[in-house]
Amino acid sequence: MGTIIVGGIVLCLTAAAIGSMIHDKKNGKSIQCGGDCKHCGGHCGQ
Amino acid sequence: MSIKIALAGNPNCGKTTLFNALTGSNQFVGNWPGVTVEKKEGKLKGHKDVIIMDLPGIYSLSPYTLEEVVARNYLIGERPDAILNIVDGTNIERNLYLSTQLMELGIPVIMAVNMMDIVEKNGDRIHIDRLSKKLGCEVVEISALKGTGIEKAAQKAITLANQKNIAIPVHKFAPEVESVLDVVEQKLGSDIVKEQKRFFAIKLLEKDDKIQSQMKLVPDISKEIEQIEKLFDDDTESIITNERYVYISSIIGECYTKGRKDSLTISDKIDRIVTNRILALPIFAVVMFIVYYVSVTTVGTWATDWANDGLFGEGWSLFGLEVPGIPILLDSALTAIGCADWLHGLILDGIVAGVGAVLGFVPQMLVLFIFLAFLEACGYMARVAFIMDRIFRKFGLSGKSFIPMLIGTGCGVPGVMASRTIENDRDRKMTIMTTTFIPCGAKLPIIALIAGALFGGAWWVAPSAYFVGIAAIICSGIILKKTKMFAGDPAPFVMELPSYHMPTVGNVLRSMWERGWSFIKKAGTIILLSTIVVWFTTFFGWVDGQFRMLEDMEIDHSILASIGSLVSWIFIPLGWGDWKSAVAAITGLVAKENVVGTFGILFGFAEVAEDGTEIWGTLAGSMTAIAAYSFLVFNLLCAPCFAAMGAIKREMNNAKWFWFAIGYQTALAYVVSMCVYQFGTLFTTGSFGILTVVALLFFLGFIYLLFFLGFIYLLFRPYKESSSLKLDTKNFARAK
Repeated sequence: MGTIIVGGIVLCLTAAAIGSMIHDKKNGKSIQCGGDCKHCGGHCGQ
Repeated sequence: MSIKIALAGNPNCGKTTLFNALTGSNQFVGNWPGVTVEKKEGKLKGHKDVIIMDLPGIYSLSPYTLEEVVARNYLIGERPDAILNIVDGTNIERNLYLSTQLMELGIPVIMAVNMMDIVEKNGDRIHIDRLSKKLGCEVVEISALKGTGIEKAAQKAITLANQKNIAIPVHKFAPEVESVLDVVEQKLGSDIVKEQKRFFAIKLLEKDDKIQSQMKLVPDISKEIEQIEKLFDDDTESIITNERYVYISSIIGECYTKGRKDSLTISDKIDRIVTNRILALPIFAVVMFIVYYVSVTTVGTWATDWANDGLFGEGWSLFGLEVPGIPILLDSALTAIGCADWLHGLILDGIVAGVGAVLGFVPQMLVLFIFLAFLEACGYMARVAFIMDRIFRKFGLSGKSFIPMLIGTGCGVPGVMASRTIENDRDRKMTIMTTTFIPCGAKLPIIALIAGALFGGAWWVAPSAYFVGIAAIICSGIILKKTKMFAGDPAPFVMELPSYHMPTVGNVLRSMWERGWSFIKKAGTIILLSTIVVWFTTFFGWVDGQFRMLEDMEIDHSILASIGSLVSWIFIPLGWGDWKSAVAAITGLVAKENVVGTFGILFGFAEVAEDGTEIWGTLAGSMTAIAAYSFLVFNLLCAPCFAAMGAIKREMNNAKWFWFAIGYQTALAYVVSMCVYQFGTLFTTGSFGILTVVALLFFLGFIYLLFFLGFIYLLFRPYKESSSLKLDTKNFARAK
């Protein structure tokens, strides 16, 4: 039972970590630094 | 329907500070020009329908750098409902140059004269009413830093936007110029709205190439240009620039009264010492030495020792009460509820060991970030760019390249992005390639780990990591400038030195927290996932043809050991050819903190801590001090994390250049680390082998490139400015 509960918590934490990364990515933010990369692209000079 | 208000002004006039105050955002604020390179959006506090746009700082609407293009394109293309023009009150004459251009855009403009607290402190006076009358727009006094007058400014901007009262420029050029402008305006097609005709006419007259790309029909105005150039005996761009300054000079006397005449300000007095020709560099070296020494070796170590040995170790004492550490608490809890061994191992040997090892360095990092935030906010770092210009120029770069490196001390990604402020493409590419040599925040745990574990917290290790980065940049500059790809003189460096000011505690703490929080968040996401993968591949493998979970003593049979063994031989010349170090260096490509996290798992951080020994001792037993320094140098200089690589790819905008940058960084890291290990071993043990000969050959080749091909040429060549000096008139105008 202990294994199932703890395993569930670890699974939830992992899912939350992945979810948070996907959420940041979808919002165009860099996973590493939180930079607003979506609105950058580095193409402004073209 | 929402209202859009754009914050526009010169670099370092306080736009982002005002933006943060108006929207409650936490955008990074720095006391040097060019902090904002991208426009940022936020909602005005208490007004959900009012959008505030923070634009990069610009000196004029004739864009020369990429961030100036961002600002101008937004103002022309998206046409906000109002422009809140932020003007630095301590430098009003130069700031008004942009204001005269903003008035021509056909968008309602309200001017906010910022830094009024400093203006008053200096004994100066700005006559707001007269300024408003002369410019033909509303003017308000504010201090973005102290938050005075900002609500009034925002409210007036909203009212103006609702009224849609476009700004009608009061200023006029010379009658001859005005008559030519009228002719050009009439020639413009219907694709240009009436309110913008004057702006487009002026830009066409200035021969602005980029404005033509925004027009469907470009009229031929060569006759008009010829006529006016003959009349004024100058090019049209200079004529318009001059006309603007003539106008500003004509009104400034009435609107601005200087309190103390010709006396040196405190900033000037400090600069006499800090930017002194002889003292500047030693002062910079001492400052950076103190920053890294205090962060990593003294204050930072006390805090990190508590985090590593107490919080993530055996426990700590709280007012006499013994509080057990997280691993001990978790171990007891997991044992009590009868958790399976594999899950027990995943949590303690994987997640707690890996993430805990990384989080243990948070205190050191926060101390470093406080120092950096203070130096940036007080204005010293802007001086460093000026100081470094003299050095960098000798080696083919300009001081402008130091700004991305400065930002890169926090994180390499925005550092690389900041390179777009460099106009010269060659310099920009070289800056992108070398910015990540400066240790970013994520590399600090590696520095602290090596300094603590292998060198007993020696005072010189952490500062040396910073100076290794600077040396790598200088050497790269010398070598690369000798190649065809980068040959040429650096562009002239024009930079406005901001006044020194005591940063607010809130600003410093906010800057520290932003950087620190992104690090903590990373530990809870990407590092957490990485540690799970590293734990699984470390504690599972094949033994006697059977795939199963491994005991601590069997991890040499793990999946990770098999992968690590495939590549570890590459690092034998560098002194750390064991699979554990090789794997740690490779996982660092995901995020540099992973190096420490991986060591935490591989050297049984949690297990060992319970026995009273720490990761330091186990790690110290696995490699020599010289091999550890070689490992440190390799990780400092080699290809950065994937996110920074992505930023390099975006900014280079070319696959060939991207791979060249990554290849160069890794090759340089390899050669330098090899030389460190081979020569270090030779001097300390006297052992001489074939690899020492190889290192010697590399070293001689490096010296040849550095001194005989590059250094002497660069040092003694006659200095000449690059061809971009054709912009001299404009630069002069800007500087004025």
